[in-house]
Amino acid sequence: MAYQPKPPAGWIKTNFTYYKHSGSWAWILHRITGLGLTAYIYVHIYALTSLTQGPKAFDDEMKLFSTPVFKVLEWLLFSLVLYHAFNGVRIVLVDWANGARYHKKILTVVYGLGVILFIGMGILMFSAHGSSIVASTK
Amino acid sequence: MKVILRIQRYNPEKDTEPYYQEFTLEAGDDKVRILDLLHEAKWKYDGTLTFRRSCAHGVCGSDGIRINGRNRLACSTLLRDVNYRKPIVIEPLPSTAIIKDLVVDMSDFYKKYEAVKPYLVNNSPPPEHERLQSNEDAEKLFESAKCILCACCTTSCPSSWSDQNYIGPAALLKAYRFAFDTRDDAGDERLDVVDTPDGAWRCHTIFNCVEACPKEINITWHISQLKKRLAQREM
Ligand code: SF4
Ligand code: SF4
Ligand code: FES
Repeated sequence: MAYQPKPPAGWIKTNFTYYKHSGSWAWILHRITGLGLTAYIYVHIYALTSLTQGPKAFDDEMKLFSTPVFKVLEWLLFSLVLYHAFNGVRIVLVDWANGARYHKKILTVVYGLGVILFIGMGILMFSAHGSSIVASTK
Repeated sequence: MKVILRIQRYNPEKDTEPYYQEFTLEAGDDKVRILDLLHEAKWKYDGTLTFRRSCAHGVCGSDGIRINGRNRLACSTLLRDVNYRKPIVIEPLPSTAIIKDLVVDMSDFYKKYEAVKPYLVNNSPPPEHERLQSNEDAEKLFESAKCILCACCTTSCPSSWSDQNYIGPAALLKAYRFAFDTRDDAGDERLDVVDTPDGAWRCHTIFNCVEACPKEINITWHISQLKKRLAQREM
């Protein structure tokens, strides 16, 4: 009898052990950031329910969100958005614009732009001058 | 110099699970092919070691195996292409049924290949000589026509691992090969076959197939052309 690797244990193991190149990492990161953002939407909707409990409840919550821990979390959340959005554009280019011939170069741009904007956002959020800009837009 | 091959073994008459066996072999230099080492293991140490090979020159596509985690042809992979300072891990193509040792069941692969009608369909009466095609039109097919059906791509694809019904990159490449042939009349039938959730749309552009293909075919590009044509059909 032929030996048949059992799903799903078989393919989960294959996913872990198979050789990974930049394209596979791009896909894995896209999945993880996608799941992360989906999870965040639920947290976000849940957080907004404080609106139904009056202005004080909402203000208290906003105060909690401006503590350093939450600011760092927000900054990390932004990195998920950056990657998922830019890699999404990369996938569109691959499927619709000959990008399959240049997908590794596009990936370099995705990472490069992502890191620059992530750092930029960090400066904006955490420097005294930057936070005043952010505050003034609120 | 000594190298160690760590080969996955499975004998359907004795074993319930595959296991690994190490062979310590003598290699002249780093230009020795993995296939030569498999031969040495079989011919000198264990005649029951079973694997497929025929041409030994990257033409027939029969010796696709997994070497140090990635799919390649044993005959087209030299020692210096892999890390041989550690034992070299040799396994059958992933997520396929293992018949014996490195020999896997290819029936599902061929079934999916046949599903896209891998031959020219032309309904007009045969001309006196061959059916001509312009150079430009022929060039659009050259890359896809290099495929040797080794299955390295399809069995390296994460979409194939998780979806047994996914038609896979090799069959999609073949669908391109004929759907984009100006002499072919069955384009729409073929596009119907790949226009399903288990067809071209299951490709998530991971490029594992491209990394695995020993003929350096950019399979994902060809799948993207199919996707484009499928979308154009709807407009
Ligand atoms: S690019 Fe598509 S066909 Fe190729 S490995 Fe990835 S999902 Fe599979
Ligand atoms: S496309 Fe490449 S990897 Fe896939 S079967 Fe053909 S030759 Fe092998
Ligand atoms: S033996 Fe024919 S391709 Fe390797």
